[in-house]
Amino acid sequence: MSDANAVLVDEDLAPIAGRRSFAARAARTPAFVAGALIAGAVLLLALLAPVIARYGPLQQDLLHPLRPPSAAHWLGTDEFGRDIWSRLLYAGRTDLQVGVLAVVFPFCFGSLIGTLSGYLGGWLDAIVMRVIDVVLAFPFYVLIIALVFFVGEGTRGIYIAFALTDWVIYARTVRSATLVVRRLDWVAAAEGGGLSRRRVLLRHILPNTVSQAIVYAMSDIVLVILAVVTLGYLGLGVQPPAPDWGAMINDGQSFITVHPWLSLVPGLAVVLTGIGLSLLGDGLTDVLRPQ
Amino acid sequence: MTAALEVSDLVVEIRRHHHRFRAVDHVSLRVDRGGALGIVGESGCGKSITLRAIMGLLPPAGRVLAGTVMVQGEPASADSPRAERARRRQLAMVFQDALSALNPVMTVGDQIAEAPLRVLGLSRRSAHARALELLGVVGIPDPRRRYGAYPHELSGGLRQRVMIAIALSSDPTILLCDEPTTALDVTIQAQILELLSDLRDSNGLTIVFVTHDLGVVGQVCDDLAVMYAGRIVETGPVAEVLAAPRHPYTAGLLASALDVDSHASTLVTIPGSIPDPMRLPPGCAFNPRCPFAQPDCLVSPVPLRAVAAGRASACLHHDRLLQVPHG
Amino acid sequence: MADVLLEVENLGVSFRADGGRTLRAVDNVAFRLAAGEVLGLVGESGCGKSTVARCVAGLLAPTNGVVRLDGSDLGVQRTAEQRCAVQMVFQDPYSSLNPRMTVRQMLRELLSVHDLVPRAAREDRCRELMSLVGLPVGALDGLPVQFSGGQRQRIAIGRALAVEPRVIVADEPVSSLDVSVQATILRLFEDLRARLGLTMIFISHNLAVVRHLSNRVAVMYLGRIVEQGQRDALFADPRHPYTRALLAAAPRLHQGRRPRPEVTGEPPSPVDIPAGCRFHPRCPLAQDICRREDPVPQQVHGDSADTVCCHFGADPG
Repeated sequence: MSDANAVLVDEDLAPIAGRRSFAARAARTPAFVAGALIAGAVLLLALLAPVIARYGPLQQDLLHPLRPPSAAHWLGTDEFGRDIWSRLLYAGRTDLQVGVLAVVFPFCFGSLIGTLSGYLGGWLDAIVMRVIDVVLAFPFYVLIIALVFFVGEGTRGIYIAFALTDWVIYARTVRSATLVVRRLDWVAAAEGGGLSRRRVLLRHILPNTVSQAIVYAMSDIVLVILAVVTLGYLGLGVQPPAPDWGAMINDGQSFITVHPWLSLVPGLAVVLTGIGLSLLGDGLTDVLRPQ
Repeated sequence: MTAALEVSDLVVEIRRHHHRFRAVDHVSLRVDRGGALGIVGESGCGKSITLRAIMGLLPPAGRVLAGTVMVQGEPASADSPRAERARRRQLAMVFQDALSALNPVMTVGDQIAEAPLRVLGLSRRSAHARALELLGVVGIPDPRRRYGAYPHELSGGLRQRVMIAIALSSDPTILLCDEPTTALDVTIQAQILELLSDLRDSNGLTIVFVTHDLGVVGQVCDDLAVMYAGRIVETGPVAEVLAAPRHPYTAGLLASALDVDSHASTLVTIPGSIPDPMRLPPGCAFNPRCPFAQPDCLVSPVPLRAVAAGRASACLHHDRLLQVPHG
Repeated sequence: MADVLLEVENLGVSFRADGGRTLRAVDNVAFRLAAGEVLGLVGESGCGKSTVARCVAGLLAPTNGVVRLDGSDLGVQRTAEQRCAVQMVFQDPYSSLNPRMTVRQMLRELLSVHDLVPRAAREDRCRELMSLVGLPVGALDGLPVQFSGGQRQRIAIGRALAVEPRVIVADEPVSSLDVSVQATILRLFEDLRARLGLTMIFISHNLAVVRHLSNRVAVMYLGRIVEQGQRDALFADPRHPYTRALLAAAPRLHQGRRPRPEVTGEPPSPVDIPAGCRFHPRCPLAQDICRREDPVPQQVHGDSADTVCCHFGADPG
C-alpha cells in the first residue's frame, strides 16, 4: 500500500492556477459593484425607514400642503402635507418587501419544475410545457383583476397572482439549462458512477443551472415592483393610505404641471431601484460563473 | 532571388486581462517561391499568431510591435491601405475549422465566386465559371450540384476542400495554412495533404503550413521551423531536422512521438510543461525542461544561429545533440 | 481465450433520424476481452466507436445485443456494483468534470455512496488516488477551472479508479490534449495498467497511440468491426482494405511525400449505408460480390477472436 503512495509520474506538472474567492471576483466586476451599491443603498434606506424618516408616512399637516423642498421637508410635502421623503422611504419598504416575497415562490417552484422537466423528459416534460404555454397565454392584468375581485384588495392578491403566473419563466429557463447540462460528460460520469438520480440532480445538475434563475430573479423583482406600482396606479394592490410608489405617482398626477416632483420623485425611486437590481443581475452572471 | 515571403524580427504583443505578453518574439522566416515551409509547435507557441500577423488578421487584442513582413519583395504594412490590399492579393489563408470559417447562409459556390467577382473584377458569369473550375481543381465530385450546397450539408473533408478553393479563388501566390487537417479524419487528411502537394506542383504555389503534428509536416513541406514560447528554436530542411535535430525541444518532440510502425517499450516524455507566456523562465524558455541545461542558458534568450549549412538552432549547446543517436 | 472478462455479442444501436430514416450507428459488433488486456478500438469519425463505448459503460441502451461481464449480462439498468465495475474516461477534459465540485468532493461522494472505504479512511484514499494519477495532494482542494487539460484528465482517471473498476473504457482520452501532454497521459495509462492490472478498452482515431497501448485491436467502419486481432499480427499483416488504408494514411515522421492514397472519397453518412459491403464504394478491391453481399466476420487464424469482415479477407495480401 505504501508503494502506491509514491508519485507515479515524475515530471513537474503545470502549476495549479489559483482561485479567487467569490468576494474577490465580485469586487472586480464593475456591474456587480455598481448594482450592489445602488440596490444596497435603496434596501438600506427602506430597511431603516422607521429610523431615518423624520415623519410618519401617514402624518398629515394640512397647514403646509404642496410645499417645495425645504429644510423641514427635504422633498417637500404632498397635498395632505405629508412628508414626501418619509413616504418615499416607507413606500420603498412596502414595495421592496412585496417585490422580494412575491418572487420567492415562483423561483423555488419554477426552478424545481424546470429541473425535473428537463431531466426526466417524457410525459412530464410534455405536460409541463403545455401548462407553461397556457399560463403564458394568459394576460397578467386580467388575471390579477379577477383575483382581486375574489380575494379582495391588497397585497394578498398580488402574491397569489405572481405565484400562479411567474413561475413559468423560471421553469423554462431552468429547463433549457438542464437540457444542456444533462448531456455533458460530467453528468454521464455521475450517472455511470452509480449515483442516484436525486443526487445527480441536486449536486451535478442543479448547481450548474440555478445561477441563470438567480440572475433572472433580480430582474423579476424589478418587474414585480413595476407591477405593484402599476397596480397601485390603477387603485389595486397596496391600499391607501399605506404608501406605495405607484400610489404616490398616481396621487401626484393631478399636480403634474404645477408640482411635478410629487410624481417625479417616486418615479425616480422606481427607476433607480430597477437600475440597481438589473446591474446586480448582470454582475451576478459574471461572478457566478466558475472562474 | 527575392523570397516569396520574408519575415524579419517579428514581435507581436497580446493584451489579456490587463496584462501584456509577447506571443511572437523576434521571429524571422523566409520562404522561396514555390517552396513549402512547415511551422511546428504545440498550443501557445505562437505559430497561429505568426500566420495571422503575416496575413494582417490579428485579433483586436494583438498588435505588431516590431519587425517587417515582405511579400514578394514588397513590404506589407497596415499603414497604407494600398499596401494592405497588395498584400492580401498575394496571400490567402486556409483555416482549421471549415465550419466556422465558412458563411453558413451562403452557398459554397457563391463563396468561392466572391473573390473573383469583387476582387478580381470578373463578370458574374465568369466568376461562376471560375468557381465551378475551382471546385473541380480541389477534387470535389459533381461540382455543378455541389455549387448550390450550403456548408453544413457537406462533410468535413469537402468543407476543407471548399476552403482551399476559396483561398485559391483570389489567385494568390502564397497559401498560409493554419492546421488545415487537424480536425479531419486520417484518410481524409491524407487526401487533403495530397491536394496541397498537387497544387504546389501545378500552380507553383508557395505554402506555409502550420501544424502541431510532426508526422504531417514531412508530407507537404521542404523546410521546417520549430517554435516554442513565441520563438523559433530550430530551422532546416524537414528530413534533416527530423533525422538529426539540433535543439533539445525538437529532440524531445521526436522522442515522444509515437510511431505507427512499431511500438516502443517505454514512452519518452518531455518533463515539465509549456510555460505560461506571461511568466517565462529567464534566459532560454526551454531550460527548466532541458536535459542539457547549463548555467549560461539562464542568462538571456538565445537567438537563432546557423549551426550547419541551411540549419539553424537557438540552443547554446546544440552540439551535445550530435552525440545522441537518433532515427 | 483465457479468462474472458468482458464479452460483447451482436451489439447493435439504431437511432431515429430525420425523415423517419434509421441511423444504424453500431451493427453486429462483437469482441471479447480477457482480464488485464487492452483492446484498442480504432476508426474514423462516425464509425460508432464512441457509441460502443457508451453501451459497454452502461450509459446508452443498445437496440440489440448483450454486454457481459464475468459471464453475467449487464443491462442498462445496472446495480451499483455493476456500474462501478465498468468506468469511463471521456474525451473532453473541459466538460467531464463538474465545474462546481472540488476534486475532494467529487471523490468523496463516490467513496461514500458506494461505501468503499470507512469514513475515517476516505481522506487517505483520496490522497492515494491523487498520487496514483500523479497529482499533488493540494489538487484535492482545487476546482476544475484551476487545472490544465492534462491535469483534468488525470483527475478524470482518478475518479474512474476511485470506484475500483474491473474495466476502464477510455474514449479518445488524449485526443484533445497537446502532443507532449498526450505522451504523459499515455504513460500514466501504461503505468496504471502495469500496476493495477487494468482491463481497458482504449478508443482512438490515432493508430500510433492504439499500437502503443493495445494487446488487441479492432477496426471499425460505419458501425461494423471490419477487422480485429492481436496487435502485432494486425499491424504486420492487415487483412481488410480499410485497415490497410488507415495504416497507409497514418502520419509518419520520416516518410516525406507518400504515394497517392488508394482509398478515395468520403465515408457515407450512417443513415445511408451502402448495400452489400459497406466499404465497397471506396474500396480498391471491390468486385461484384461486394456490391451485392454483406460479408460476415470470418476467422482469420485458428483463434476465433481474430476476424475480418471482407469477401477477400481470408486470402493473404
